[in-house]
Amino acid sequence: MTTLDTLELPETKDPYEPVVARLIETEPLTELERLFVFEPSDGQVLGHRPGQFVQVWIPGVGEAPISICSSPTRGRTFELCVRRVGEVTSHLHRLTAGEEIGVRGPLGNGFDMTAMQGQNVLVIAGGLGLAPARSVIEYVLDERARFDEFHVLYGARSPAEILFRHDLIRWRHREAINLLVTVDRPDEQWRGRSGVVTKLFADLPRLNPERTCAVVIGPPVMFKFVVVELLARGIPHDRIFCSLERRMRCGIGKCGHCQINADYVCVDGPVFTYERMRELPEAVT
Amino acid sequence: MSARILNRDELLRLIDEAARDRRLIGPVRHGEHTFYEPADRAAELDLEGPPCVYSPKAHFFPPEETLLTFERKSRSFVTRTVRHETPTALVAVRPCEIHGIRLLDHVFGAAPADEGYLARRRATFIIALDCIHPCRDEAFCGDLGTNTAHLGFDLMIRRLSDAEEGSREAERFELISATEDGASLLSRTRLGRTVDRADLDAVRAYERSKASAFPRRLSCEADRLPEVAQRGYASAVWERTAARCYSCGSCNLVCPTCYCFNLRDEVSLDGKSGARVREWDGCQLREFALVAGGHNFRAAPAERLRHRVMRKASWIAQRTGLPGCVGCGRCDRACTAKISLVEILNTLAREQDHDHAGHS
Repeated sequence: MTTLDTLELPETKDPYEPVVARLIETEPLTELERLFVFEPSDGQVLGHRPGQFVQVWIPGVGEAPISICSSPTRGRTFELCVRRVGEVTSHLHRLTAGEEIGVRGPLGNGFDMTAMQGQNVLVIAGGLGLAPARSVIEYVLDERARFDEFHVLYGARSPAEILFRHDLIRWRHREAINLLVTVDRPDEQWRGRSGVVTKLFADLPRLNPERTCAVVIGPPVMFKFVVVELLARGIPHDRIFCSLERRMRCGIGKCGHCQINADYVCVDGPVFTYERMRELPEAVT
Repeated sequence: MSARILNRDELLRLIDEAARDRRLIGPVRHGEHTFYEPADRAAELDLEGPPCVYSPKAHFFPPEETLLTFERKSRSFVTRTVRHETPTALVAVRPCEIHGIRLLDHVFGAAPADEGYLARRRATFIIALDCIHPCRDEAFCGDLGTNTAHLGFDLMIRRLSDAEEGSREAERFELISATEDGASLLSRTRLGRTVDRADLDAVRAYERSKASAFPRRLSCEADRLPEVAQRGYASAVWERTAARCYSCGSCNLVCPTCYCFNLRDEVSLDGKSGARVREWDGCQLREFALVAGGHNFRAAPAERLRHRVMRKASWIAQRTGLPGCVGCGRCDRACTAKISLVEILNTLAREQDHDHAGHS
């Protein structure tokens, strides 16, 4: 045996061994997205932070990294919003309550909610980005006293693609949150705002940039434009938190698939400050 | 650390002793090439030949392996972790390869540890073989300091007679231990003899000879490589070089420090059971950075080539503190398009010297 520090450590649980999670209930959100409520079958809690993800495993099909869309303040269950795009997600969409899948995680760094304490929180979400953003939004609502002003800007492509309609309605009726929603392509029934998500900045009150944290989650093209708006409002680089998406495989910083320059999205992210992203040219290409 | 002096016959007996309760793996010759392969006896190994075509990483991190098996129940499933820990004596591992293994140890050992890798690693007794001169023109281990290793093996062989004129009868090997297991094999077998004064002279001659045998091939100091690579991020060298890259991944395949992998499921015909399998992947392959929905974060060959070189010259060292490239030159040899890592690094260093001269 060759003596090296890492080889002397006691054996730990295998990082590729999933825990079993049971599907409690599921409901359609749009034509392509469904919400899934899971519970770890071993009676444990997942113990996640807002913004973390899990590797969902359908035995015989494969794994897919999925953001957790519920807040850890909501009990023993955890929720996933899944768009049907590939094999794993298609199988997920066919699951019925009571069936069990494998889950590895929570993985990734998640949002540093402590750093946002006492600050104004401004969430900007585009498209499917509302799913991870929801873990932050519900967290802030549940711990409302710990944060100052709370603004949420959400942009969807069309009214039919709006996610979490019931939640949006519930949130809108709370005084503790300023929620603005827009769609890129309105239809005839749409009576809300239209245009890209950055247009909503015009309706924001002035925020003290030294006391504001921004959470940005959406498709790569959205980041560039949103960051321009945030910088124009003087929000410091280290208080703009972006969640990036890559195809994580191992989820534990080894396999190399989610690497962006020197960083691994699965362990150094998925949440990066804009300050760090500036050093990662591949981050939003 | 303990050391003994052995002749060839004693060395072969020592290796056979190391392999008595273990599987023996070492360089086996096929035509011009050698490969790390199982052998029955030390005498079957080629200890004089060139380094093996593939690095020994495959022994700890096989090209394909089962991580766990599963069985589907009606609405659920059960899994079972698979371990492979055949005790093995891995022989004639070169210093550059020892550095490669150390990097893999660091990566797979970092929390959460890859227990499958560590199980294989713990079950392996390593006998390294030092190099007194570069094995081939493509090697630049002398520039990186990876032509020498002081730990990461159980025993190391140094062929002292390489530094001397002499016949085969005078062939002398120094065996140095770096672990208790290595030292105990030396003392248990009591092969050869202890080091005497004449041997010490030979050791000094060996070290002198080695110190001047490795030509400098990098045009900058090794500790400047991370900086040179970073500053060369926008260089034209990537486009220019990648124009002839086939994105075949041969460089990834032979590299001792490439460890990227993919995970996939295999399933039985009846769909009731299967396995979770890990297989090597390579950053030069087009699909490597493809994400769900079809976007490819490194669609251009130049982006992929740059990614690999940045990892080797800068990013791995930044993350681990260990060399991301060990200078073995395998990628240069394996490249069907004759792309050379050293040439790329030297081009970057040269461009920056010019820039610097231009600005001053």
